[in-house]
Amino acid sequence: MSEFPGKQVNTAILEPWHRTATASVGLYFHFIRLAFLKFLAYRLRYYTGVVSYTVFVSGHYYLYTALFASRVADAQGATIGGLSLSEVITYVAVSWIGRSFYFNNIARDLMRMITEGEIAMQLIKPFHVQTVMMFEAVGESGFRLIMFTLPIMVVIVPLFHIGGPPDSILYLWTFISFCLALVIYSQINFLLGCLAFNMKNIQGVLRAKMVSMDFLTGVVVPFTFFPEWFQRVVEWLPFQGISYIPVTIYLGKRPGDELYAALLLQVAWAVGLFVAGRLVWRISVRHVVVQGG
Amino acid sequence: MEALIKVRDLTKDYRLTRKREGVTGGLVDLVRPRHELLRAVESVSFDIPAGQMVGYIGANGAGKSTTIKMLTGILTPTSGTVTVGGLVPWKQRLQYTRHIGVVFGQRTQLWWDLAVVESFRLLKKIYEVDDATYERQMKLFDELLEVGKYLHQPVRKLSLGQRMRCDLAAALLHRPRVLFLDEPTIGLDVLAKENVRIFLREICEGEGVTVILTTHDLGDIEQLCKRVIIIDKGRVHFDGKLDDLRRRVGRQVRMTVELRDSATSGELASITAGLPVVWEEIEGLRHHAEFNRVEVPGAEVIKRLVNELRVSDLHMAEPGIDEVVREIYRQSGREAS
Repeated sequence: MSEFPGKQVNTAILEPWHRTATASVGLYFHFIRLAFLKFLAYRLRYYTGVVSYTVFVSGHYYLYTALFASRVADAQGATIGGLSLSEVITYVAVSWIGRSFYFNNIARDLMRMITEGEIAMQLIKPFHVQTVMMFEAVGESGFRLIMFTLPIMVVIVPLFHIGGPPDSILYLWTFISFCLALVIYSQINFLLGCLAFNMKNIQGVLRAKMVSMDFLTGVVVPFTFFPEWFQRVVEWLPFQGISYIPVTIYLGKRPGDELYAALLLQVAWAVGLFVAGRLVWRISVRHVVVQGG
Repeated sequence: MEALIKVRDLTKDYRLTRKREGVTGGLVDLVRPRHELLRAVESVSFDIPAGQMVGYIGANGAGKSTTIKMLTGILTPTSGTVTVGGLVPWKQRLQYTRHIGVVFGQRTQLWWDLAVVESFRLLKKIYEVDDATYERQMKLFDELLEVGKYLHQPVRKLSLGQRMRCDLAAALLHRPRVLFLDEPTIGLDVLAKENVRIFLREICEGEGVTVILTTHDLGDIEQLCKRVIIIDKGRVHFDGKLDDLRRRVGRQVRMTVELRDSATSGELASITAGLPVVWEEIEGLRHHAEFNRVEVPGAEVIKRLVNELRVSDLHMAEPGIDEVVREIYRQSGREAS
């Protein structure tokens, strides 16, 4: 093609390139920081959230108080599903406080990116979209912890007289467990978002998720309130790692080695779902049809 | 000289679902959907040596965006091969995208809610640009594109022209070897377009960046590319120098004539009798004349008109890229039949 004189560059080869481990850490930390900044720009939105979370917890507070009062003559000291009234109230409060921390909308964001073709702008960059989205979720949760979860705690804990865990070291384990919950939650969301590669509109799926997740994770009702078979089923699902495990750790319901077993189970699900997400992504991208432009 | 970009028999089929009509049709679709294949790109082959700037042209839906998406690794082709500097874009995506810059005129790669400078800092991390190179590039972008003024504004508050300048800078921060530009001047005003072109010429010629550019604007191609590839219905119809393209199409011009007294196209045609001029009446007093400037001297047409009629205004226009493309399509259709 010498008839087209362009400035000749010495080589027709693109040099191999790998990102070092340190550079990866730096890059992903940067994504955490950017997500934090992004949500900070919209912080006003979260003040109303404090009110609605308080309303959720109040609703459950009165519901369970009435339930205990109707089931047993003396509500104090009695248990339903292995939990006393004050434990149930604590369960509900800690569940919602945790939810305010790990929650994100990765599935919806990914669906939008796919249906509006924005995914193209991600695919032209040398990074794993899945990993980036996970670290962005970490940044979002960091923001939530300070600007959302803490205000909610300040309101809810004194309002419903929520007590601490039986052992104060459990504060730490509960927090670690909720951090693992964040990974599990974001990976389930990522997998659901990947459905948008095949189904043009997954709004219905997302709505079904919103409703069923709060049940399957144990946010709304403790598993022990459900029939035996339901408890057997959820034991084999990843959802318990999102809320039921961290909250029961807080309540001190996992003595001795059971605590570590529960945390290990969370780690296993987090890793398993991450690997599954990587595989599904790889297959989906190969069949991707980028919309528009 | 071995080519940097090698494209061989590149083909892409899309599977479309064809909906049946009516309620029964809709129900049948649920059980047995009907698919049909749309061949968006068919057996496209070309070589591009390092440092060349190539215009990739085609009408809407001709397959140019699909080709670009395969070259950038976004889409996997149905068949055929692409290697760029020894890498297969959709297979070695992580390795490959390190070396390319991409600007899609319709989209932005900047983080919408954040100040522009945050996007640049992130890109610096993504591509592992060292501090010295970063400083040098940012200085260069400020000199040529004046991005310095916008660095601390959120992207959503920038005008289209300002955003495009920042997007170009973002695509070139890591000094890519290959640059893909999909409609980089779309929606820009004349001055902004000119700025973008000057910048591209300086950067790409200076650094020997290989550029593939799709556009609807002949000005982009004329000022930037020596070589053009024209694609229609997924196939390559022309691949060669811009000058050859012009010669092949001829210098077709369109003259708009405003008359004081009404005249029919037939009367006008009789005035230009003997010259291959095609007349078309737009409305009573306004007519279009189309002719090839190589065959017909414009001055002759004007002289005859002014002698015979009372002309109030005259205007001559060079064909846009769409007309050149249409002409190429027409010619290749004629050759085929």
